[in-house]
Amino acid sequence: MAILDTSGFNRDSHHRHDDSLAFLEAVRSASLLPYNGTPPTNTMREAIFQILKEETSLELIIGSYQLLNELDKRFPRVCLPKVEEPASSLPPTILDEPVSVEEAWCPFTLGLDRDEETNKGSSGSIDPMGFHSLIQELGKMTNQKSKALETKILRKMLLLHYLVSVLEADFVPRNKVFKEKMSWTLLRDSLLNMLLGSRKIIYKGLVKDCLSVVCDVFSDLSLQSESSVVDSVASPSNEISYNCTAAFALALPDLKRSTCIYLKKLLRMMMELDTSRNVADVQGLTTRADGVRTPAEEIILDELAYNSDMLSPFFQTFDDPWWKLKMIMQYFHKYIPKSSVRTRRSSSPVNDSTFEGVLKCFSNSRSTKNIIKRIGGDVAQLLLGHAFLAYLSVSVESSAENDDFEEMVKGKSRTEICKHIVAAFTSIRKEDKNSEILLFGKQAVFTAATILSTKS
Amino acid sequence: MDEPLDFEFEEPSLVSPIVAKQKKKKVIGLDDLLSDFYQVKSDIPKKESKRAKIQKSDESDDDVDTREAELYNYVNKCQQQMNEISTDDQMPLWGLQVFGDQKAMPALTFPELKSCVLLQSFMGHEVNLLLELKTEEGEAFLEGLLVNSWLLKLVTNHGRVEKCIGAWTFNLMLYSPKEELRAAACEFWCSILLPKNQVDVVLFEMEWLPNYSELRRALEVYGFLLDFPSKSSSSMEIVDRDSDSAGPPQNIKSWIKYVSVCCQARTTHSVFSTSEVEDLIISVIYLFLDRQLLGLSSALKDCLHSLISFFSNDAFHLSCQKIAKSLTCRVPTDVNCLRTVESVAGLGARSKHLKSVLAFQFLVACFDDKLHDEEQILKSLISINLKDKNCDLLKMYIHLVLAENWLFCNPLLKDKPIISEMWNACLRNCSCQITSTDLRSYASKVRSKASYLLQGSTTR
Repeated sequence: MAILDTSGFNRDSHHRHDDSLAFLEAVRSASLLPYNGTPPTNTMREAIFQILKEETSLELIIGSYQLLNELDKRFPRVCLPKVEEPASSLPPTILDEPVSVEEAWCPFTLGLDRDEETNKGSSGSIDPMGFHSLIQELGKMTNQKSKALETKILRKMLLLHYLVSVLEADFVPRNKVFKEKMSWTLLRDSLLNMLLGSRKIIYKGLVKDCLSVVCDVFSDLSLQSESSVVDSVASPSNEISYNCTAAFALALPDLKRSTCIYLKKLLRMMMELDTSRNVADVQGLTTRADGVRTPAEEIILDELAYNSDMLSPFFQTFDDPWWKLKMIMQYFHKYIPKSSVRTRRSSSPVNDSTFEGVLKCFSNSRSTKNIIKRIGGDVAQLLLGHAFLAYLSVSVESSAENDDFEEMVKGKSRTEICKHIVAAFTSIRKEDKNSEILLFGKQAVFTAATILSTKS
Repeated sequence: MDEPLDFEFEEPSLVSPIVAKQKKKKVIGLDDLLSDFYQVKSDIPKKESKRAKIQKSDESDDDVDTREAELYNYVNKCQQQMNEISTDDQMPLWGLQVFGDQKAMPALTFPELKSCVLLQSFMGHEVNLLLELKTEEGEAFLEGLLVNSWLLKLVTNHGRVEKCIGAWTFNLMLYSPKEELRAAACEFWCSILLPKNQVDVVLFEMEWLPNYSELRRALEVYGFLLDFPSKSSSSMEIVDRDSDSAGPPQNIKSWIKYVSVCCQARTTHSVFSTSEVEDLIISVIYLFLDRQLLGLSSALKDCLHSLISFFSNDAFHLSCQKIAKSLTCRVPTDVNCLRTVESVAGLGARSKHLKSVLAFQFLVACFDDKLHDEEQILKSLISINLKDKNCDLLKMYIHLVLAENWLFCNPLLKDKPIISEMWNACLRNCSCQITSTDLRSYASKVRSKASYLLQGSTTR
């Protein structure tokens, strides 16, 4: 393809700009527009990726990002055969192995260390270290608010979005088949598992960095909300630069929000991978070569316990109800003194693995006091509130996918839970004399009480 | 210049000659030439010839000055010419000023909010002893409920959206200056119209639904200039754009998202009429032309896609013509019309059709609406003499791209072989009549585009 070559020449910047645009358009019209378009070659995909990684013009960054996503949707790397069965009401019971297109270009370089030499040629792709440092850089850039960084931060964010969606498109079908057929090798070969298992990154650090970026970006968003984002930095003398600044200002809040969402997806996939891995472990499918990893969930919970400022932004971002509820239960599980539950009602042991069980711990003053002493009244309120919010978002029918989840909401009806919530907050208020009920807690109580009054 | 070491003269004057001589003895291997220079420096008056040489170099300095100036001018001229050539060849940037000054945002206070059932029913509740909520704080409290998405749960539980809650959140979405509130309100409306998970699938009883005119009004408030002739933003004189009044505000994002979701939810809440959707499509395509909205192009693409899916099959073909005609009146036939055509993604059958119709109508507009027949248009494209010095090659380039988009995947190519033949002839013209050494601006662009398309059409 002749257009490809021109991008290599050291020509004027605007020529390169024009050429790159023409290149993107040409790939689009060759691969996506015809009904039977041919997938672009690996060199072409790499060139597009390079544009996303290095260009400074907003038009090119966004164009290449969109094109890559569209291409991945049209020509997926992993596809499940026979998924599109006409009778959608009957889910296909026997899924074939997903076919992964071996030669397909992939933005990650995940080979073993000895492959380093051979991979040098394709310097365009991202290795595990690069992925980690991308997240770290995003964290740094969010904290220093400098106008000059805008293009860079936008590019890095879009790059991260793309990389996470590549991981997702690879992981989700594999995990689905794993659940049906228990073939660990399939999941072991997923990009995500290879990325996390790479010796080049510190897995724990990666999880922590994801977490802190989520919280930083989220807090940044809420702070910005007060002032209008477009400030008069743009010099009015230059129309183009004005347009550019305005475009950035318009795009950034949404980008930041979706950065949170993508990082949330990444964390959730990590946890799902851990769950599947556990299952495989129990079945004896894993080998020594798979290594050992601390589950992401534990790392996150530790980090949240250590740094309670993160609680609110994290759970506001992490709105996946099942996982949210599960994590909060785990949190309580860790910090609720077992004795206080057991001794009181030794005759009928309270099952503290259900949401109701946790709520019941707040029903008597001694155990409430105990919990407040251990985790603090505010934290308890936040956790209860978020757990309730998550509870309201799930329904028993959709729990079929996972037994753990069903376990958590088993028991009493919604009305009962609402009653417990009101009681729990009343109890916290009584025991924790120094502090008021948080606004978030008030909202939870308001919701519970209103639901109660409509149901009765 | 026979004295390349001019600056060396000064160095020895700093160092005493004796030291220099001593150095000369100690440091072995100094060039003869260099030592000569040192000698010259140490006793200049004695050596006449050397003196003359220096004078000569002084003279030549003057000489060089003038020559240098000449050279400088010449280089400058070349540079200028180069610049001219290269800027000529650069595609002009697309971009229209789609937004003018914003109008005053409507007031966001809702006095009736305090008396909404949701709040009032709670005020008397015994639990309020715990919260001590007062009616005056009602609005702030509701804002909190909205931001933390409790409000959606409450409404879902209730199965009904009160009129004042609906209107209040809708206004926050479109007019609130606070990012947090408008985003939350937008999320709220999207979840009501298009529930994401099974739990929320409740047929809401909506006491109030915004209609098309509310959306139109919002665009007007943002300063949208659809019905006024707009100037190309690159050629536009700089109007004073103090950031307070220049549109669009951040709320445009919510607007785009809302329109998109509204169309997807047409089965449950039929909100727009066909002609209203046509208007919306025109507005959305027009939004693509503002460079300020470049960062939102993903959202705009989604929105356009949902809008296009809104139509019934029969209505769509008719509407396409209307949309295309209306856009050709508004968008000039320069690079901006290429951007317009490009903004239609062309992935689905409908999108392809709209793209093709748009491109054809722009071609018609390029020929001043005199030609309406496909063959005639192609004929006149072929008849353009590209060797003519006055031929506007940028225009030709635009024609080529438009024609390509019009004919791409067009059933016309199969139904009427003559069209296909003429199109090939036209492409051959462009690639053969322009030589590769043609220095006119855009010549290479037209040539390479045509050859690329020609190659594509022969291999297909």
